[in-house]
Amino acid sequence: MHLVEISDLEVSFPQADGVVQAVRGASFHVDAGESLGIVGESGSGKSVTCMAALRLLRQPPARISASRLNVDGTDMLAADKRKLASLRGRVAAMVFQDPMTAFDPVFTIGYQIGETIRAHREATKAAARSEAEALLARVEIRNPSAVADSYPHQLSGGMLQRAMIAMALSCQPRVLFADEPTTALDVTVQAQILQLIKELQAELGMGLVMITHDLGVIAETVDRVVVMYGGRVMEEAPVDAIFDAPQHPYTVALMGSMPGLAPGRRLVEIPGGSPDPSNPPSGCPFHPRCTQADARCAAEMPPVVRTGPQAQAACWRLT
Amino acid sequence: MTRFILQRLLSVATTFFIVSVIIFLMMHSIPGGPFDGGEMPLPPAVRERIMAQYGLDQPLYVQYFKYMGGVLQGDFGVPFQAPGQTVVSLLSQAWIPSLVLGGLGVLIGAPLGILLGIAAALNRNTWIDYLASAVATLGLTIPVFVTSMILILVFAVWLNWLPSSGWPEPHKWILPITAYATIPLATYARYTRSAMLDTLNKPFVTVLRAKGLSEGRIVYTHVLRNSSIPMVTVFLPMFIGTATGSIFVESMFRVPGLGLFFVSSIRTRDYPTEMALMLMLTLMFCVAYIISDILYAMLNPRIRNGGRST
Repeated sequence: MHLVEISDLEVSFPQADGVVQAVRGASFHVDAGESLGIVGESGSGKSVTCMAALRLLRQPPARISASRLNVDGTDMLAADKRKLASLRGRVAAMVFQDPMTAFDPVFTIGYQIGETIRAHREATKAAARSEAEALLARVEIRNPSAVADSYPHQLSGGMLQRAMIAMALSCQPRVLFADEPTTALDVTVQAQILQLIKELQAELGMGLVMITHDLGVIAETVDRVVVMYGGRVMEEAPVDAIFDAPQHPYTVALMGSMPGLAPGRRLVEIPGGSPDPSNPPSGCPFHPRCTQADARCAAEMPPVVRTGPQAQAACWRLT
Repeated sequence: MTRFILQRLLSVATTFFIVSVIIFLMMHSIPGGPFDGGEMPLPPAVRERIMAQYGLDQPLYVQYFKYMGGVLQGDFGVPFQAPGQTVVSLLSQAWIPSLVLGGLGVLIGAPLGILLGIAAALNRNTWIDYLASAVATLGLTIPVFVTSMILILVFAVWLNWLPSSGWPEPHKWILPITAYATIPLATYARYTRSAMLDTLNKPFVTVLRAKGLSEGRIVYTHVLRNSSIPMVTVFLPMFIGTATGSIFVESMFRVPGLGLFFVSSIRTRDYPTEMALMLMLTLMFCVAYIISDILYAMLNPRIRNGGRST
């Protein structure tokens, strides 16, 4: 049994003028101690997928369906409010993109970390508080006691992101979802935060789902990669395979647009723009921008085919 | 915090001084005077003697400092409309009904409005929300004197449950208190709803859910606390509503309160009474300002300790 198991996930948001189809049948899994990267451009459905995995999308308006949506053996779609609350933070935790808006501005950091601990097990306020300080020390904050006493507006983005990681780890979750955890941070801080997440993941033996649009982040942190586009999974492969031998034309194009692989090489952009989620293209969502597309690509979504050990892709060229 | 309060008090004292000068000048800039007569004009010699007796023949700034000097010692002068009394004795009987009715109106209306606003925000786009919006809109748009008339018509004339007017028996308070309560109720319902919805859409609420907090704890610990910050600012408009409302409510329900004196002292150019009333109103606003500022600072750590400490 996988730690996180998602099959045929569909998420849509009905609007006044149609339905936004954010995720259109995504499947992947994560095992304990494994790190999975979900990569894709804005609007590819990667964040929504993870929000849906923890049932954090408000329903309504969101509509979620899946043939399987399990976290640590619990069917998330069948779980009631109470069950969900007890799983969140304890079994599966999440680190969000913007640390500056992630904390309640009127409570101290120490209080908010302690609150998470107290939500999931019996602890006095004082005990939770000293545990919060220990957690802050663990995410390499040098003056944990002062930071615990601080309000969010008194801390820098990097400091807050460390605090959010400390909060996420406060109940030793089995899986951590990190939704673009470094996007809002300075470049110098980004590397530190990634390093920290990676270390803690190895130390705690957690499963990790790293959502990002930054291929550099993927290369540094994860074991396996899921490439999403237009609400669908285009390709899935171990990280080395994705960088060395991408199979799907979209992944190939994505690699071509990434700087830094070969100095002096011109970056190649992918022509066109992301598909409109309220009116997605027929067939393969990438076909309007794909240089190798033909009539079949526009007519029918390609099946998922095996492309190597632990690797698969959805493209007619590979069948 | 002590420094913060001292700063506020100082700024309030300055405001109070400036406002008192403006009121004094405006009051005296209205043409006519208290002893101009009308139907029975006084002989010029008599009139001048009375003017001199009350110091009205002196330059305005002398009059101002004399009056304010008295005020600082608790002497608000002699009302021209009742020369046998002092302003303090005249108003001291009148402010009790105003304070009781207005105060109870706010104390009853505000909490009801807050509850209604919370219910509306948590049940957005359901009948509860629509009801709350309707109540809030009606309460804010219908003038108090119309509300008063409707109350009198329904409960006194048609149903005959309650007396239409009077004082001091408590059952006569019900209708005027209800009329007063509509303003804080409507104001608070509206502000609470929008403040709650605003907070519920903040990213940190999703983080709280992701931590595994129960919905109840999220709403009552985090959302309500954050929403109360903008709600504190409503404290002031509510005071305006109650103070100006008293003029209408008290005349509709024939309550012997301060409201009547606002009108009569201006009409008769009763400078000491008018000045005393306006100073009292100013003081009320200043106190309201101080209370909102202190509450604001207590609720909002970004104001309480502005700088970065780490």
